[in-house]
Amino acid sequence: MNQQYITPDMAAYPDSLRDIQNRPTKLYYIGDLSLLSKRCVSVVGSRTANAYGKSTAEAIGRQLGSKGVTVVSGMARGIDTCVHKGALQAGGATVAVLGCGLDVCYPPENQKLMDEIASKGLLLSEYPEGTKAERYHFPVRNRIISGLSELTVVVQARNRSGALITAELAAEQGREVMAVPGNIDSQYNLGNNKLISEGVNPLISVADVLGVLGLNKPDPQEAKRRLSETEYQIFGILEERGEMSVDEVCMALGKTPAYVNPILAVMEMKGFIFSAMGKIFLANV
Amino acid sequence: MLTKVKTATLNGVEGYPVTVETDLHSGMPGLNIVGLADATIREACQRVKPAIMNCGYIFPRERVTVNLVPAGRPKEGSHFDLPIALGIMMLGREVAAMDDTAFLGEVSLDGTINPVRGVLPLAICLRQAGIRNLVLPQANAEEAAVLEDLNVLPVRSLMEAADYVAGTVNIEPYIRKKSARRSEYEIDYSQVIGQEAVKRAVTIGAAGNHGILMMGGPGCGKTMIAKRLVTILPELSYEEKLEITGIYSVAGLLPSGHPIIDERPFRSPHHTVTTAGLIGGGIRPKPGEISLAHRGVLFLDELGEFDSRVIDSLRQPVEEGIVHISRNVEDVIFPAQVMLIIAANPCKCGNLWDDRKACTCTRQQIESHRRKLMGPFADRVDMHVKVSQVENNKLMEEASGNGAMSSAEMRAVVSAARNIQRQRYAGTGYLDNGTLDDGGIKQFCALDIKGRRIMEAAYDKLGLSMRGYKKILKIARTIADIDGAPDIREEHVAEALMYRMDLGNE
Repeated sequence: MNQQYITPDMAAYPDSLRDIQNRPTKLYYIGDLSLLSKRCVSVVGSRTANAYGKSTAEAIGRQLGSKGVTVVSGMARGIDTCVHKGALQAGGATVAVLGCGLDVCYPPENQKLMDEIASKGLLLSEYPEGTKAERYHFPVRNRIISGLSELTVVVQARNRSGALITAELAAEQGREVMAVPGNIDSQYNLGNNKLISEGVNPLISVADVLGVLGLNKPDPQEAKRRLSETEYQIFGILEERGEMSVDEVCMALGKTPAYVNPILAVMEMKGFIFSAMGKIFLANV
Repeated sequence: MLTKVKTATLNGVEGYPVTVETDLHSGMPGLNIVGLADATIREACQRVKPAIMNCGYIFPRERVTVNLVPAGRPKEGSHFDLPIALGIMMLGREVAAMDDTAFLGEVSLDGTINPVRGVLPLAICLRQAGIRNLVLPQANAEEAAVLEDLNVLPVRSLMEAADYVAGTVNIEPYIRKKSARRSEYEIDYSQVIGQEAVKRAVTIGAAGNHGILMMGGPGCGKTMIAKRLVTILPELSYEEKLEITGIYSVAGLLPSGHPIIDERPFRSPHHTVTTAGLIGGGIRPKPGEISLAHRGVLFLDELGEFDSRVIDSLRQPVEEGIVHISRNVEDVIFPAQVMLIIAANPCKCGNLWDDRKACTCTRQQIESHRRKLMGPFADRVDMHVKVSQVENNKLMEEASGNGAMSSAEMRAVVSAARNIQRQRYAGTGYLDNGTLDDGGIKQFCALDIKGRRIMEAAYDKLGLSMRGYKKILKIARTIADIDGAPDIREEHVAEALMYRMDLGNE
């Protein structure tokens, strides 16, 4: 696969990077550059992580991937790898920002993942071909990860993890930062918990990440696909009004409760609405 | 020289015939009553003797023994005065055979006959035992005259009764006044505006005899909806009227001017009611609210305020349709087939669901309130319905035109669905969908393929319990009956799912 490059004077250069400090002057890429014009969220963490961190990372990747959010990470060992895998599993798009040339695979065991990202997602690097991965490359590369994203989630980070640098850069760039809370008796969680104690918002459930992005309402496209005509009509009315009683739905449609009730029950089972306090609400996904 | 006079006594709301045997023998003058008579009957000695003498008759100066047959069953009631007095007065006299005549009545010291309670069930059992003529207090005549094939012979005094027995006077059988009252309600569901969804639920509940629990804030119309439930139930049959009137007669609650209950009863006990008040009881067991609501509606307003133990005592009667009170002498059974409708606030103060008013309940209060609403009793109520406040503008809109569903329309739906059930359950022992047991559900609640699919999906996605699953099947059966559908289809199950117990999101 051939690598290409973009520079700030090109239209394809992502707007999100234009205004960050020390923006990359030349960015090599392989894959689908249009992913950067979608909503981007970076999910990062330590190379050494435990099972909790890895499964959480993968779940967040999946959750975001399934909602069409571009998941950005660094393809490092541990958390980063899991994030990319999760996003790909959900059929979502993912971007890996590397600290070496695009012809170098670091860590080498990720060759397969790298190939998959190249074909289904996007590989980015500011280093020309043949550049080896150097320790000092990674902290510098982190500004691109945070810069591309409107939100950075730190899943699991040890005390002096590079993920904490990403979080700090994101904050400096005026981006949202969240951290996944972890057990306080585990050294793996020291960094992410410290972020929370410093005032970063904790991510209290995997679905929470969608709430922050405002993506927890059912997608109208999906609704149109999965709902019948009348169901979609009710969906539309509810989207507009927020909450309604069964009687109000009946009045809006000019139908009887006997007609409306079964439809609402089916919509509830499809997961688009829920009932509470005597009323019908659009469901959170 | 022995005399025999026929009468009857009550056990619960059923009567059974009793023969009063009287005999004279030598000994100290006095009156002995044997045959498990209760205190009221034993006191008859003190009433009967002066009454007989005040009427100008002679009380025997020998030992009088009165035996109540069958001697082994307990008897109660002041209506034994008249048969006992007549038995004594007939001693040593020639009287015509009185095998098809029975007597009821309480005697005053001056010989006046006073009204008694429980006349209708007593009259029914006597009629079954072959009695053609019933002599009873004037004030009870209208009540007994409901039985068209019985000669009701009202008497005002002991003298009159004695003359009748002696054959010197003929008493004209009492003819029932034609009831001027038409069975029509002043209340109607068309007065309930903007709650069509709840009215639909109530129609389904009434059609299949499913208990309904309505949850909603104060002032949203729960009580109004409950009160109108009787207006959509089918009219009572003659037998049902007799049955209900019998219960009210036993309880002493018949209205004096019109001593027949010809509308379905609506009972709404206050939440301070005791267990005995609700299901019946007392030293001499009296029917409780649930029996007074037999074949009608029992409404529990503010379920959360009732004592949990009182509420739990309803469980078995509601399931079995009878109240069983155990006494050391004899067990008493009261009928208790009611349609249950319950109202509950979402929390103790009631404002939990209202955005405009602040709920003042603590977390603990809300939790304990909820536990009550999800308790074992409420879990046995088939339908759970959420009632929301009607917005003001909607009230105006509705009032200005398109009519709300009326009781007559709803009753037509209910009657049609009940007819289908009657035909289906003829000879099976089941009455309606609401009282189906597990076997009945299996036999009669067949789902079509799509119906089965949605039921399975609901079981997974909505977290139904096994009991919840069965309740949905029963409700779906009723909705299908309303639709006139032999098999339960997808949309019937789907609508039934709207009435499941679910407080998960609140």
